[in-house]
Amino acid sequence: MTKQQQQMIDYIGAKVIRRPGMQIEVDTPLVSSGLIDSFALVDILSKLEQITHMRIPVGKVQAKDMDSVRSMFATAARVGKPL
Amino acid sequence: MNTIATASQQLAFRTLTEALLAAPAEHAFVTMWNNEDNVHTTTFREFTRWAYLQAAYFREQGLQPNETVILIMPQGVALMTAFVGAILLGAVPAILAYPTFKVEPSKYRFGLSGVSANLKAKLLVVDASFPQDLLEYIRVGDLCKLVCAVASPDPAAEVGFAPRAYDPRQLAFIQHSAGTTGLQKGVALSHAAVLRQLGHLTAALEITTGDRIYSWLPLYHDMGLIACFMLPMVSHLHVVMQSPTDWVMRPASMLRLISEHRCTIAWVPNFTLQFLARRVDVEDRKEFDLRSLRALINCSEPVRAASMDEFKAAFSACGLRPEALQSSYAMAENVFAVTQSATNRSGMPRRVWVESQAYYRDHVAVPVAENSSGSLCLVSSGECIPGNEVRVVSEDGCDLPHGRVGEILIRSDSMLEGYYNRPDLTSEALRDGWYWSGDLGFCLHEDLYVTGRKKDLIIVGGKNIYPQDIEEIVSSHPAIQDGRALACGVFDPELGTESIVVVAEVKDENQLQDPLPVEQAICNAIVAELGVAARGVYLKPPRWIVKSTAGKAARSTTREKLLAEHPELSSG
Repeated sequence: MTKQQQQMIDYIGAKVIRRPGMQIEVDTPLVSSGLIDSFALVDILSKLEQITHMRIPVGKVQAKDMDSVRSMFATAARVGKPL
Repeated sequence: MNTIATASQQLAFRTLTEALLAAPAEHAFVTMWNNEDNVHTTTFREFTRWAYLQAAYFREQGLQPNETVILIMPQGVALMTAFVGAILLGAVPAILAYPTFKVEPSKYRFGLSGVSANLKAKLLVVDASFPQDLLEYIRVGDLCKLVCAVASPDPAAEVGFAPRAYDPRQLAFIQHSAGTTGLQKGVALSHAAVLRQLGHLTAALEITTGDRIYSWLPLYHDMGLIACFMLPMVSHLHVVMQSPTDWVMRPASMLRLISEHRCTIAWVPNFTLQFLARRVDVEDRKEFDLRSLRALINCSEPVRAASMDEFKAAFSACGLRPEALQSSYAMAENVFAVTQSATNRSGMPRRVWVESQAYYRDHVAVPVAENSSGSLCLVSSGECIPGNEVRVVSEDGCDLPHGRVGEILIRSDSMLEGYYNRPDLTSEALRDGWYWSGDLGFCLHEDLYVTGRKKDLIIVGGKNIYPQDIEEIVSSHPAIQDGRALACGVFDPELGTESIVVVAEVKDENQLQDPLPVEQAICNAIVAELGVAARGVYLKPPRWIVKSTAGKAARSTTREKLLAEHPELSSG
């Protein structure tokens, strides 16, 4: 796991899921498992831009692209542009 | 000097095609903002040529006049030209929501499947990036062909197409009603109805050629399609546009675009005002100049005084004129607007303070002095625009006097032809020339006040309670996530009436370990403000409430979820 992925996991745990004792991993399904709903993805995308220093064109992102922390960073690498 | 594009100008056009072809070719039509580095302006000439290419392509694909075509494409000029291309061909386009990261996949699939089955389209037009796994949920039948739209106009391509002449009474397009639950209804509109509505709207807003529209509104919704696409197309105005998801990601971009392009008119649902006031940093506000804005029209949700005041307080320093904040009552079935507050007055829409007990108990608005104890403030949605009439009636269809709350009925010359392929729904909604809106409200002087949806009303011991009023009280508690509260009625067989049940999301899940103090405080606040007690307040973790594709709380689905988790509520 990269430092950036850990940073995102910490953010999701503390600010999005906020469920004491809930552990998430880099491949934990988030949207498809119902852990987060797709409306939370607005905040997660903003955080992803901040962590990766990339501007992510939201029109090119689907919910499934954001289903795990690993896929989020893969999406950023695929469609993001350096800020 | 700006000339007023009068109502008669719109009425003189027989079809939308005629209106487009009369546009000044070199004038800017659409500026599409994708991000700071990707902003593109399309002139009327470029737009029309692209629309011709789309029409020629659709014809090659076998699309015939009067056949329906479904468009599922991202917000942008490719979608807009595909829409107009279908109209040029005499076909009947319907825009459906494009899937985004914000949309719940299962809910999207459900809606898509039902709506597409009803349209019986001959052509389904998507873009190259449309998710393949969703295509199987579009029920279009064996006779429907799937194609990709012309993504960008080839400058070398010959335009081998000439628009056909057609009857103004012919269907122009189908727009879908903004239902938050179940299946949306396809509202079929003729060219004549659309042009009449635009003529009336132009007159009511005193549109001039100097006006410039800003929009983040989706084109599958009447506010986005009619006010921010058809109106500028027919009135030959410039519209500055971005997608809803781009706006939600970067809310301040709306204010930046209005400032940079000197936009004069925009429509927004009520929540936008509060959202911007809370999300845009105080530091960032210094760069905005909102002096150009003459009408920021609050529409499509109940208009709330507190939201308008919060926005005014947040952005007055940016040059926002208080009188720019206006209101309107609109619906897809009437093409768009029924009422509009007066944009030429010196102030915001009229407000009335009414005695709250009489309002909730007797369904009557009794005006009292401003801010007097036990009163509540309601905001007018304005007066009827030309060509529109409203009546307010009781359950048995009798006209109610001014101040009495009842169902709003509408009669106009821009009414829908019918719900597409649903004569049963059409005859239920359209009776003796009047459209039964399902909305509740009252008239006072010349103004219409819209108070809520009839089906959402909670009746507690004969007292009428609007869920939105309870939700506003609950959301104001500091432990509750802003805008994430929902109130509904549950029949109590012991009492023989409905009881109020509230579900609300806490900001921090740790608060659920000791929920009683918050629940009690919320119960007390409801009793203090509305004079009724809630049977239960249920605190839930963040994101528990089900939201629709439009971002509103899905009332019936959330209610079912609550009853499933708390079966004791159903058993009384």
